[in-house]
Amino acid sequence: MNIKTAFSTKETVDESVEDICRQFDLFDSELVLFFASTKYAPESVSKKMQDAFPMAQVLGCSTAGEITSGKMLENSMVAMAFNGQAVKDAKIEIIENLRDESSVRKALASFESYFNESMSDMDPGKYVGIILVDGLCGAEESLMETIGDLTNVTFIGGSAGDDLRFSSTYLYAHGKGHSNVAVLALLKPGVDFTFIKTQSFRDLGKTLEVTKVDEERRAVLEFNNRPAAAAYAEAVGVSLDEAPKRFMHNPVGLVIDDEPFVRSPQQIKDDGMLFYCGVKEGMELSVLEGTDIIGDTREAIEQARKELGGISGIVNFNCILRTLELRQNNLTQAYGELFAGFPTVGFSTYGEQYIGHINQTATMLVFR
Amino acid sequence: MAGKIKQMIDSIIDQRAKDNPMLERVIKTKLILKGINPGKYTLQSDDDPVVLGKLEKMIRELK
Repeated sequence: MNIKTAFSTKETVDESVEDICRQFDLFDSELVLFFASTKYAPESVSKKMQDAFPMAQVLGCSTAGEITSGKMLENSMVAMAFNGQAVKDAKIEIIENLRDESSVRKALASFESYFNESMSDMDPGKYVGIILVDGLCGAEESLMETIGDLTNVTFIGGSAGDDLRFSSTYLYAHGKGHSNVAVLALLKPGVDFTFIKTQSFRDLGKTLEVTKVDEERRAVLEFNNRPAAAAYAEAVGVSLDEAPKRFMHNPVGLVIDDEPFVRSPQQIKDDGMLFYCGVKEGMELSVLEGTDIIGDTREAIEQARKELGGISGIVNFNCILRTLELRQNNLTQAYGELFAGFPTVGFSTYGEQYIGHINQTATMLVFR
Repeated sequence: MAGKIKQMIDSIIDQRAKDNPMLERVIKTKLILKGINPGKYTLQSDDDPVVLGKLEKMIRELK
């Protein structure tokens, strides 16, 4: 076994780190990825995890719920350890100024120097990136855009959570806790890998063209040259007052090759709409309708298993809005059980990253 | 002037995807997420300076 997982629901940082450490006993951990509820003091959890695995590179973030093999958890800590056969090499970088392109370039230049290969030449079949980013920064789109311009290597990940307090989220690397940063890890896996991007929506065949935006605020002011909120309400067939109740079930999405890149409405503001994700003028967004998260996720995992010929580990970045829907429908146990057969860690995110920044989606890194 | 956007999009896809269909799809997706839908541009499309600026930046990043 080259990838191991552990979880702990103990109350304190010390107890939980010790619990996880014990579960990884005798395993030759070279990289440790962990996700932890904010009940664990963010100031100390990173240091204690790094101290517990002094020979490993350790990274992680705070969450809005955790996932491990067979379980969806709350108020816990989950971890995945990789040995040198699963991940031959890795380098972690912190981007401190999220809106400054030069900070992103600096991080990628560090990867180039470490791996002695240009990011633009790196084979996306041999390298993979993990991105963990402050879930309240609102800067994921530009960050992913800059990374995507500089390399063909896929960066997949999630925006950190804070147990739905929406106060501060935390990123963990090099034994320290940070806010308002992104942590990037560039991995050279020793095993094959693939990606899952799954969202459970069907296209209702109604299009809303974005005709006026305030990109900085993630606000759509007009759809189809009309006030955005009114145009959305009409498209989903409800009154303006009722429209917010439909946001979770009827988000909108940029549909590319039949694959929606979901943009979830957050609230109506004046006559416009604020989103959890950026939208650009001229985009044609499709009105979506929620379907079956459990069935679709099961199918996506099965496809990945067939593609790889087996799964030795899954890192699951699962949108908090999906988690809330699962909680509402008493389906968290069923969702957790989808991962019972595979070493899995993950968390409920405030946004997901894969090619770009998306909502109401699960993005997963899957190892053979 | 017309058609420059289409030419630049084709050039970016050629340079970056290197005939790999999977990478071609990813690069097209990146462009669409930037608000540039490759399917909407032909050799007759007007040279919108805002779109040209975004594409020029992408090309610069490749070097």
